[in-house]
Amino acid sequence: MELDFLATLLLSSLSSAAILLIATVGLAVMFGLMGVINLAHGEFIMFGAYATLFATQIGVPYPLAIVFATIVTAIFGGIVELLIIRRLYGRIFDTLLATWGLSLVLYQSAVLIFGTVTPGIGLPISNVQIGDYSISVYLLFLILVAAVLIGSLYWLLTKTSYGITARAAIQDRETASAVGVESARINTMTFALGSGLAGFAGAILLPAIPATPNMGFAFVIKAFLAVVAAGPVTLTGTVAVGSTLGMVGNITASFWTSVVGDIVFFLLTITILRIFPLGISGRWRLKL
Amino acid sequence: MGNSSGSISSLLRNFRLRSSDPSIFIALLFAISLALSSFWIDPYLAYVGTSWIIFGLLGLSLDLVWGRGGLLSLGQTSFYGIGGYVGSIAAINFAPLTGNSLIWALPFGAISGAILATLVGWFIFYGRMGSLQSTILTYTFTLIVWTITLSFTTEIGEAVVGGDNGMSNIPGFVLGFDQNASSLSPNMMFLTVIVISAIIYLIVAFIVRSPFGMVIDSIRLDAVKAELLGLDIRLFQTLMFMLAGAIAGIAGGLFGAWANYLNPSIFSVQEALLVPIYVLVGGLGTLIGPFVGALTVGGLSFWLGGGVIGGQTTLVMGACLIVLVIFLRKGIVGGIQTVFARIFDGSEVRDQRSQQTSQVRVNLDLLEKLQASAKIQRDATLKTVDTSKRFGGVLAVDSVSQVFEPGKVRCIIGPNGAGKSSYLKTCTGAYAPDSGMVLYSGQDITKINPFERVKLGLGIKMQTAQVFDELSVKQNLWIAGYGNGLNKERADQVSDEMLDVLNMREISTRLASTLSHGEQQWLDIGMVLCLAPSVILLDEPAAGMSKEEKRQLSELVRLMAKTATVVVVDHDMDFVRTLDAEVTVLHQGAVFAQAEIDELRKDERILDIYLGRRESVTNF
Repeated sequence: MELDFLATLLLSSLSSAAILLIATVGLAVMFGLMGVINLAHGEFIMFGAYATLFATQIGVPYPLAIVFATIVTAIFGGIVELLIIRRLYGRIFDTLLATWGLSLVLYQSAVLIFGTVTPGIGLPISNVQIGDYSISVYLLFLILVAAVLIGSLYWLLTKTSYGITARAAIQDRETASAVGVESARINTMTFALGSGLAGFAGAILLPAIPATPNMGFAFVIKAFLAVVAAGPVTLTGTVAVGSTLGMVGNITASFWTSVVGDIVFFLLTITILRIFPLGISGRWRLKL
Repeated sequence: MGNSSGSISSLLRNFRLRSSDPSIFIALLFAISLALSSFWIDPYLAYVGTSWIIFGLLGLSLDLVWGRGGLLSLGQTSFYGIGGYVGSIAAINFAPLTGNSLIWALPFGAISGAILATLVGWFIFYGRMGSLQSTILTYTFTLIVWTITLSFTTEIGEAVVGGDNGMSNIPGFVLGFDQNASSLSPNMMFLTVIVISAIIYLIVAFIVRSPFGMVIDSIRLDAVKAELLGLDIRLFQTLMFMLAGAIAGIAGGLFGAWANYLNPSIFSVQEALLVPIYVLVGGLGTLIGPFVGALTVGGLSFWLGGGVIGGQTTLVMGACLIVLVIFLRKGIVGGIQTVFARIFDGSEVRDQRSQQTSQVRVNLDLLEKLQASAKIQRDATLKTVDTSKRFGGVLAVDSVSQVFEPGKVRCIIGPNGAGKSSYLKTCTGAYAPDSGMVLYSGQDITKINPFERVKLGLGIKMQTAQVFDELSVKQNLWIAGYGNGLNKERADQVSDEMLDVLNMREISTRLASTLSHGEQQWLDIGMVLCLAPSVILLDEPAAGMSKEEKRQLSELVRLMAKTATVVVVDHDMDFVRTLDAEVTVLHQGAVFAQAEIDELRKDERILDIYLGRRESVTNF
């Protein structure tokens, strides 16, 4: 194997790990701060992608369209929390089933409204040459995006009053409410935040992954597995599992097919869970 | 009038070995009327209706796993699909030789579904995964199987599996054993599927009422307690999952024969979503519910939406699921059962609740007799060697070495946070110690599972009363007698004797959830005694008991200590003093002192650490 091949493989693996992280953090935030798994997460990503597409089509420049899509998806998530999730408080499997129903409603609605094929965003994609191979600049840019995204989430959850109260609420709901934390309001905000992150993922990934009703499907297997394998320390755990398994999945996928990549990802996850039933972070002392 | 309704209610109660028993007769009536309808309904309706029954069978497999076993599996369609493919491949190849297609499709479907489910179940249950993790895992499993089948092509004998193009030429329902035997008419097909489903339903209903089903119920209600009764819960759960996989596989085999064609859409998310809908519409945990749900959903889409593959089924079904989980909790069958219960048992339930909680009177003479004849190891000891347990930065148990022997009660005391419960949990196996050893009569048990410790002879009562809420007093004791040894006769006998020891015969049919706190404590203690343990660990057994009950408990504990090793963790000093015990004081995770209670009472240092200040001496 040549050095330029290895470098390209490393960079493309890093970027696919970055894509996975971008697509997963929203799910991890909801699970970590609310204990809720949103099975409609993939469709929220799709929602963000179509919102971006809509904005660019009416003339909004792409960077602003990303902001627009993030906010719109966050508001949509907030409404879903108020209408559905809130009613299912403490019934974790009912929540799961309701979001599953929501995912199919969103998917089918997208098929009805947009059809199964949509025009791309038409952003010029330039490549850099590494030896005999080339890699898209945009994919490299996504590595940076993932790093900044994780950094700002860390800041949001450790330094802002929202982040601190949200973490307090999930650790000890009674004590938190005793000191005046309104957990219902916090949950709406958390669900909106997670949804907004999904919308952001759909928006920022649009040049790499075109908007289709089933685009979320490409992420959800890996995203769900990463969050589950991560365990109780969701955010750090997801970053660790997501980036490691994302790279492994990409390497296997680049030798075989993406289906094999998914299978390897799945097998690795159940192996991890066999060794650490609570996920890899089950024994960590970190709390975020 | 009142008399006749009273006799009906007592009749029903006699059938009610288990709480939902009349449903089995209603289910059979339902099946018979459906079967009779097959002689006159429109052939097209019979054809479509056949698929609804098959979906009901698929729903039954989820109801078993979810309603009984407590695991929401979103992977039942993968066992169904695999069963369909494997069964159909077998039928395509072998049915031309025998005529009859079902003798190939159904066993092959059942076995392949069962094998796959066992594999998945083994990972989930033997890995002791959390319930949410398990559900997500079954969901991703479904997604993966779907993506694989979309591109999977192979040829097995005459069968051609064509990826997205599917597999055709699957033989229909042929019952005759003759190479020229023809496929059944739609109406006969409908009848056949009803008969097969009714047989499977009866088998499942029988299993649910058997000791196996009782164990599955107890695991759903409290898995930790079930394991402390010596039950290998992983094995039971995996077996239950295997059974459900076999049922799904049979449903798949039937579906292949019904459709004559299979493609990967059988594994799709849209298909998988329907299964919990059937279960929820019909009623979770009712077993007959999934059939009612599938017929309702199928019927509604047939008469209102135009056939099984209506235009926007996905949209409607997705919305249905949301509405179902929010508004309709019990489903159709559950709703009917509630109404029935109100008519027949309403007064009874109210009576039970309002009853004065009677003082428990323990029959110690009987217990002593039973104890004398019980086959227990008389000289069993429990020993810990430098056992330590760390939580993050806190050393909860700091190299504790103790030897517990029969003959005299042993107590462990200490202020809150001294590590008493953590230490006890390293002995029971709930916590794995970071270092050191736990020995049972010289045998190293540091690494073995809690249920294996119980099988050796450990009896454990945790701090809060752990009883199975939805089971009766008698059933609680029965499970405890059954757990150790899986012997039905022994369980019958032991639970019956224990009812007399606890003087609970009058309340033996009451649900454990309706007992007072003190009664639940006694029931829990009775369950531990049912195990006939050689080493008994009791964590705050006197909590919530009256003065008189504490006196009886003290006598009971001292009686048990004559033949067994008894360790009591408590901070109720009045209670500990009556035990005439050797006391170990834990402080900050380590052994601080060890002596008779009267000696300890003179020790000023202990008063300082235990009470924090000298003025409280009188309480000690």
